[in-house]
Amino acid sequence: MANKMTFSHKAAVEDIITTANRFRWELGENLHDSVMDAIYQDAAGIARRVVTVSGEKPRFDWERTLDRLLTSRVTGFPIMLLLLAVVFWLTIAGANVPSSMLATLLVDTLHPALKGLAANMGMPWWLDGLLIDGMYLAMAWVVSVMLPPMAIFFPLFTLLEDFGYLPRVAFNLDHLFRKAGAHGKQALSMSMGYGCNAAGVIATRIIDSPRERLIAIITNNFALCNGRWPTQILIASLFIGALVPPALAGIVSAAAVVGVTLLGVALTFGISWVLSRTLLKGEPSTFSLELPPYRPPRILQTLYTSLIDRTIFVLWRAVVFALPSGAVIWLVSNIHVGEASIAQHVIQFLDPFGLIIGLNGVILLAYIIAIPANEIVIPTILMLTVMSLGMHDMGAGTGVLFELSEQSAYMAIFGAAGWTTLTGICLMLFSLIHNPCSTTLFTIYKETGSVKWTAVSALLPVVLGLVVCFLVAQVWRMVG
Amino acid sequence: MLTSYITLTLGLAFLGLGIALLRPNTWFREWRYIFRNRKRILIEDALKHLHDHEYRRLPATLQSLAGALAIGDGRAVELVKTLEALGLVRSQDHRLHLTEEGRAYARRVIRIHRLWERYLADQTGLPEQTWHSQAERQEHRMSIQEANRLAARMGNPPYDPHGDPIPTAGGDMPPPRGVPLTDLPEGEFGEIVHLEDEPETVYAQLVALGLYPGMEVQMLKASPERIRIAANGEEFPLAPIVAANVTVEPLSTAARRSETWVKLSHLKPGDTAVVTTISRACRGLQRRRLMDLGLVPGTTVEVEFRSAAGDPTAYRVRGAVIALRKDQADLIYVEKMESVNRKATAQESST
Repeated sequence: MANKMTFSHKAAVEDIITTANRFRWELGENLHDSVMDAIYQDAAGIARRVVTVSGEKPRFDWERTLDRLLTSRVTGFPIMLLLLAVVFWLTIAGANVPSSMLATLLVDTLHPALKGLAANMGMPWWLDGLLIDGMYLAMAWVVSVMLPPMAIFFPLFTLLEDFGYLPRVAFNLDHLFRKAGAHGKQALSMSMGYGCNAAGVIATRIIDSPRERLIAIITNNFALCNGRWPTQILIASLFIGALVPPALAGIVSAAAVVGVTLLGVALTFGISWVLSRTLLKGEPSTFSLELPPYRPPRILQTLYTSLIDRTIFVLWRAVVFALPSGAVIWLVSNIHVGEASIAQHVIQFLDPFGLIIGLNGVILLAYIIAIPANEIVIPTILMLTVMSLGMHDMGAGTGVLFELSEQSAYMAIFGAAGWTTLTGICLMLFSLIHNPCSTTLFTIYKETGSVKWTAVSALLPVVLGLVVCFLVAQVWRMVG
Repeated sequence: MLTSYITLTLGLAFLGLGIALLRPNTWFREWRYIFRNRKRILIEDALKHLHDHEYRRLPATLQSLAGALAIGDGRAVELVKTLEALGLVRSQDHRLHLTEEGRAYARRVIRIHRLWERYLADQTGLPEQTWHSQAERQEHRMSIQEANRLAARMGNPPYDPHGDPIPTAGGDMPPPRGVPLTDLPEGEFGEIVHLEDEPETVYAQLVALGLYPGMEVQMLKASPERIRIAANGEEFPLAPIVAANVTVEPLSTAARRSETWVKLSHLKPGDTAVVTTISRACRGLQRRRLMDLGLVPGTTVEVEFRSAAGDPTAYRVRGAVIALRKDQADLIYVEKMESVNRKATAQESST
């Protein structure tokens, strides 16, 4: 009896499963959609019952008019370019004074004061060199170059974002980015990258499609960041401006910097295109872009959040990475193996390789040890050049970063080190196309959570940069 | 001299790096796998062929097997011998039949194949044309346990992206549905239930035309030379050889709905319409995103404005302004407000 029960039980279960399976085939794929439909309909029904809408919006309200203006074929792009130009101009013009004030305070005043203090305390020369000349100075440099532009650029950007303008920029530019397999919002993370690549990488959070977000992260490095503008401007005025009569030098060197920036934009599109068709073609992709209503910007709140979220955050990471880098810079120049310091050995080793790609050993070493921050590349190059040439009357001592105030002084040092116009051009190119700084790399790792994509973001640009410099040097030498 | 050595080393280093970055699984490993498992791959492909013929009620013979696997008759005979020895196949009157065991094995392979296609369609961004060949690789590598876990993670999908049923874990499959599109009489309506993914070039044409399972079509003209169908307010000319790869389920006139549908991308700024359906070609993450935004059948959409470059267009959906690209708006079908209103008045006056 019991056996019979179990058997008929089993048969009933089998029967139910078969019926369920049949229904599954019949309902097919539309089941999920139908459930979703029903949920929305219920929600809409409830909303209709309980929500009272007071006063229909007028058909031609100011928001619509503004949207039409900002996205029209005629006025859309000019307004965008104008606003971006204003933001950049305000950043550059506004950052000059506080930057030099900070430099005076941290580098010219506080550094000697600290040195004096250390001497009074009877600190051994190596400890004082490591801590003050190495770590403190590198940090001071990064802070004084980095802080003012970021403290101006980020709040301005956040204001535009808060107002609701930035999504319209993404909307207008999406067509262009779509062709490269990217998302229109990449325009925003790219612009953020002109302030700081680490902040640009964080800004890619607004892109909700996995593939396009990775593209934006990997190519963000091609937006010339705040730490690289000074290098570009200095090298362009020293080497490119010098090629033409003095009257034209300013314009020509500015054009060279703009050219490098545009090359960065072109690379962003080119590399995005390649990535979306090779490495990233399997990543899922979608597009949606919400255009939020315009809001009057909340200025104080914006200032506060952009200072805390972006400026301080990025600065903190930069400082954390600059301290050990300063130590390394000082140590490699002061620890001697045999006759020469470690730095000199490495420079000698790298020199033939550097010369092939139009650079030299000093520049390559500077890029290796100044990986934490692009801001200290030029001071490191200067220090290493002076050291390797044995120009003891120049500079501030072995392992101590310094800068010069006169163009002729720069030229004297670079000339003595055998720099040519080619070196200048290749340095400008390499400054655009090389691995992101370690702050950015760390941010990429945090954002993607993947060693693989961090490695791609580091290796892709540096390999590309070496290849580009190599080709330029070969062509230059063949022609010249 | 030194320079040229360094240049050479550099070049080789770049080359190596490039290869390592772009080709993680090398061709060599692929080739070795195929070589080591060639016997099993051949057996599984043979079972798939026999199952396909059995399912479509076509006779399977030694010749059809040799043709499908592109092997010589001699090898086909050897293969059938092996299959018989394994108890997977028996032959009768020059026809090949699957045994119970052979059918179960074939359906396991098919389950992995179709699940993998579903997975690629829903969870990756790989283009449609590559799904089939990827699944052809995967079906010989994945274990059925892995496949069952994958199915559970995806919510046990019943169909693959081409409209083919995925055999259940127990090996169940519904009987085939529908008729070839070429058999649909002129003027009649049908719903596409399946797009055949082999051969790849034909499938690519079907995809390029924008046909998808679940689409309603009307046969306009069916001559042996040319077939013309209408679907979602558009006309498609098809070569009969292409149309034969489309399976449709004939619809009664009462069930058809799509005559007045247009693509969302065809609307102009200022137009208002009601969403009727989202194409099955819009799937995975993209489909979920649209649904999250509230773009479901019955939603009212108003076209707001176009981007300065002309491409994304802003739509007002449930109180929010959302930009969609043209290729997305192509996959959303709507009914213009005027025709919705007209239908409503027609209904009112008739009652």
